[in-house]
Parts: sequence; C-alpha cells; structure tokens
Amino acid sequence: MTRRAGDTTARSAAAVLAAPTTALLVFFVVPFAVLVQMSLIKFPPNVASGFSLEHYWDVVSDQLNLKIALTTVVIVTIAMALMLLIALPLAYYMVFKAGRRELFLLLALVVADELAPVVRVYAWQVILGRNGLINWILPGPPIDWLLYSPFAVVVALATSYITYTTIPIYAAMKAIEPVTLEAATDLGAGWFQQFRRILVPLAAPGIFVAAILVYIPMYADFVAADIVGGPSSYLLGQRIRDVILEEGDWGTGSAMNLVMLGLSGVFALIAYRMSRLNRMATS
Amino acid sequence: MSGSTFPRRFARPGYVWRAFLFVVGAFLFGPLLILVFFSFNDSNVLALPFEGLTLRWYGAALADPSLHRALLNSTIIAVIVAPVCLVLGTLAAFGLTRFRFRGRGALAGLVAAPLILPWLVIGIAALMAYAKADVTLGLPTVIATQAVCTFPLVTAIVGAQLFRFERVQEEAAIDLGCNRFQVLRYVVFPHVAPALAAAGIFAFTWSFNNYEISAFTLGFQQTFPVWVYSSVRDPDHTAIVNAVSALISAVQLLLIWVGLKLIKRRTSSEAATAMITGATHVGASGATGRDPVSAA
Repeated sequence: MTRRAGDTTARSAAAVLAAPTTALLVFFVVPFAVLVQMSLIKFPPNVASGFSLEHYWDVVSDQLNLKIALTTVVIVTIAMALMLLIALPLAYYMVFKAGRRELFLLLALVVADELAPVVRVYAWQVILGRNGLINWILPGPPIDWLLYSPFAVVVALATSYITYTTIPIYAAMKAIEPVTLEAATDLGAGWFQQFRRILVPLAAPGIFVAAILVYIPMYADFVAADIVGGPSSYLLGQRIRDVILEEGDWGTGSAMNLVMLGLSGVFALIAYRMSRLNRMATS
Repeated sequence: MSGSTFPRRFARPGYVWRAFLFVVGAFLFGPLLILVFFSFNDSNVLALPFEGLTLRWYGAALADPSLHRALLNSTIIAVIVAPVCLVLGTLAAFGLTRFRFRGRGALAGLVAAPLILPWLVIGIAALMAYAKADVTLGLPTVIATQAVCTFPLVTAIVGAQLFRFERVQEEAAIDLGCNRFQVLRYVVFPHVAPALAAAGIFAFTWSFNNYEISAFTLGFQQTFPVWVYSSVRDPDHTAIVNAVSALISAVQLLLIWVGLKLIKRRTSSEAATAMITGATHVGASGATGRDPVSAA
C-alpha cells in the first residue's frame, strides 16, 4: 500500500473512512449544530424569530445558576482531588510494585468500570443511609449527613470515575525507567522527594489526560447527584436536565450546555498548560 | 508508605500497600457486595439488621413485566450497537493508522470528540435534532446515538493494536504473492482479533449500561438502567432492585472476566495493557490536536 500513487491512497482512505465519518457527521456533528442553533434562536423558536444572545444572558445573569455552578465546581474538584489521591499511589503500585499482579489489577479496574454505573451509585445508599452499614457499625445516634449530601455525591463520583483517572496516570508512569528512581534512591532522595521531583512531573501528561477524561464529564454528571445527593448538592448537570426536560426551555438549556462546555474547556486548557510547564521544568 | 527502598519489582507488598489495596478494593467493589448481601434480606426496607434469608426478591424480580421489557430493550440495543460499533470503529482505526492524507488530524479529533463530550450534552443535542427532524423517539434513535458515541472506543482499542503492528509483515505478505484480501484474512486479522474481542465486550457493556443517552432519546420506553433509575426512588421497589442488580452484575462480571481472560491467553500481557491504555490515550490526544496513533 505504501508503494501506490498518492491519489489511489486518497481514494482507498476515503473508501475506508466514508462510513464512520458519515455516521459522525449525521448523528454527532449535526445534532451539535442544532444545539448551537437552539441556544441562539429567539423564543419562540420558528423561522421568523431571528437570532440573539438573550439565552446566554439569561444563563449568566441568573443568581441560581451561579450558585449551582459554584457548588458544582467545589464538589467536582474535591472528587477529582480524592481520585488523584487514590490514583497516584495505585498507579505507582501497579507499575513498580505489583509484578505479576499488574494485569490483574488493571483488569479489576476495568471490570469495576464496566459494571452498571447506576447500580453502583445506588449501592452507596445501603452503606451511607440512616439505617445503613456505617450508622449500624458506629455507636451513638445515626449520622444524617452521610447520605443525600455533598459528601455522598463526592464519594459516588469518585467511585464512578476512578478507572479513567488511574489508567492514564498508570500509562504515563509505565514510561518511567525504574532506573531513574533507583538513581534517586542512591543519591539519597526520600520517597516524598522522589514522588514530588520525579513521579509527579513525569506522570504530568497522564494527569492531564485524566483531567480531560474525568474532570470535564464530571461537570455534566447528574446520576450521582440524583441518586445519593440532596438539595444542597444540586449540580449543573441536574439543572441542565431539569431545564430541558421539566421546564422544556430548550433555548436556555442549550446555552447552559455550551457555557458549561466552555468553562470546562478553559479548565482543561489550564491543566494542559500546567502539565506542559511541569514537563519543561524537568527536561 | 514502605518506600525508601524504591522499586523492588517482585518484592512482596508491605503491610501499608496491602492495606491501601484493600481500601481501594472495598471502595470499588464493596458497595456491590453489600447490595448482593441485602438482596437475600427478608425485609423490604434497605436497612440493617438482617431479618433472615429469602429468595423471594429474586422471584419478584423475575416476575416483573416492566423489568422484562426493560431488560429486553437493553439487550436488543446492545446486540445491535456492539457489532455496528465494531465495524465503524475498525474502519476508522484502519483508515487513521494506515493512510496519510490532509485533514487526518482533524478527523482523528472528530472521532475522539464523543469520548470527551459528556453524554448529557450528546443526549440533549440528539433529542433536539430528532425533534427538529420529526423523528419519533424509540429504540432506533437510541441505537443510532449510542453507536456514534461508542464506536470511537473501538477505534481507540483496535487502533492501539494496529499501531503496534509491524507494517513490514503486510508488505512481506504482498511480496510473497498475497492479494489484499489474503493479507487481511491471514496477516492483519489474527493480529487484531484479541483487540476486536475486547472492543466488542466494551461496546456491549457500554451500550447495555448507558443511562444518559437512553434517558434523552428513548421516549416513553425503558431500558434496564432507566428502570433502575425510576425504581430506586420507589421504596416498595428497592428489594427487587437489589436482587436484579445482583443478578445483572454477576452475569456481567462473569462475561467480562471470562472474555478478558480468553483474550489475555491469545495475546501477551504487554499487548493487553497497551489495548486497555490505548483507549484513554486516543481521547486525550484528540483533545490536544496531536496524532492519536503516534500517542498510543
């Protein structure tokens, strides 16, 4: 195939890629364009109504939305931090310490992710509820803030996304030569120094991947908050769903979607910059 | 951490590591195990203490017609979505790894986009597009939207495997007189078969378990995740939800585990790890505009 002339290559590439590209255009790009159009079209949406930015203004000027956005940023960021706290040592263990157990751990992580997500979130009700496992074990009056609270949402989010946080970091650490760490040990670096000066900087690209794959989708998650959250943990994803399905306000809902995507894009860009800076500092 | 003597590759894990792994394991699988435990509890409230052993929730689950319908719908959807994704995803992986052409980076980004964009956004956009095109919501709309946001996963897994493949082998086969079809059948296919199997399993479970897209594009019918969603709010239903969740999770666990084990036997563990991590790499490189294949 490499020896063929340029235009035959182009033709066979077109033949192979025609079906997937068409599918993406029709069922992904077009719906997205409709979403953008909906966010710009004046209410009531019809041919004569014309375009305006009023939906965006409605989204940004609504105090309730700002409050919900703030709650979401806090909860999602805490969940992300919790996951990194678990994923960094876990990935380190898998790469450098697990030996023959490495593939087993990787498969276990994948299997955990493939089990029904709605069921997995719901299972936390049994543990955190008023008559749940924790309150049954702990003496004294039942603790009420365990379930239907921001705490429960953080826990449920962290279990839902831990696989996609760990695997990219694992992949990045896989590229680190064990010799690097041995040299650091020989030169007298303690584990914390090695962690800070070698592991984290070299795993930075993986941490960035995790941020893209996990942090952005978490902003739109409404399953966890629906099932184990309460009024104080009403998230952006739920708000958007309710505006679209309950209130039927498609214009504002679409604008909200796009504002949310824009915001998470900015966060991703910051994460990317940080991972780049880190790499430059170490190379 | 036990760590000032850094990496002793095959050393037995220290107590701190073991405790850590235990906590992670409990965090990941504990809730489900407890759900299974409660599914045998002879009480219709989801609470301790344990009232005694019973199988009646399993009986009730098996007799629930709305659950039958939901499980059937989920199965139909996944049975169609998985093969469609395998075909579309493999074509895309092949096209993106084997040809150089203008706009290849942009196309790779487009393929990766559904993996990054939240399902909420995709579901809502699909709902609006179907409404605009006057398409009645139902199983076909769910299948179409799910297929489009699941096949990039197949592309990622198969692409990672194709990238590890020595092109020289294909060229050698051509030099030895193989035609295109023979090259595909005897050289390329055996190499990507484990990746195809893994991708098929993932596509099936993604589709079966998907809540968000079904919730927006299914209309008035129910899939299994949608049924669970509406049932957990109904206190009379929780015991049945426990039982059926335990059953479904056990079946899925078995299928995935056996499937992955079989695949592992057909391939090196190095290739297996590459396949699994390949998926995550494509997503990210698409976002940063890099070439997904060279990143894998």
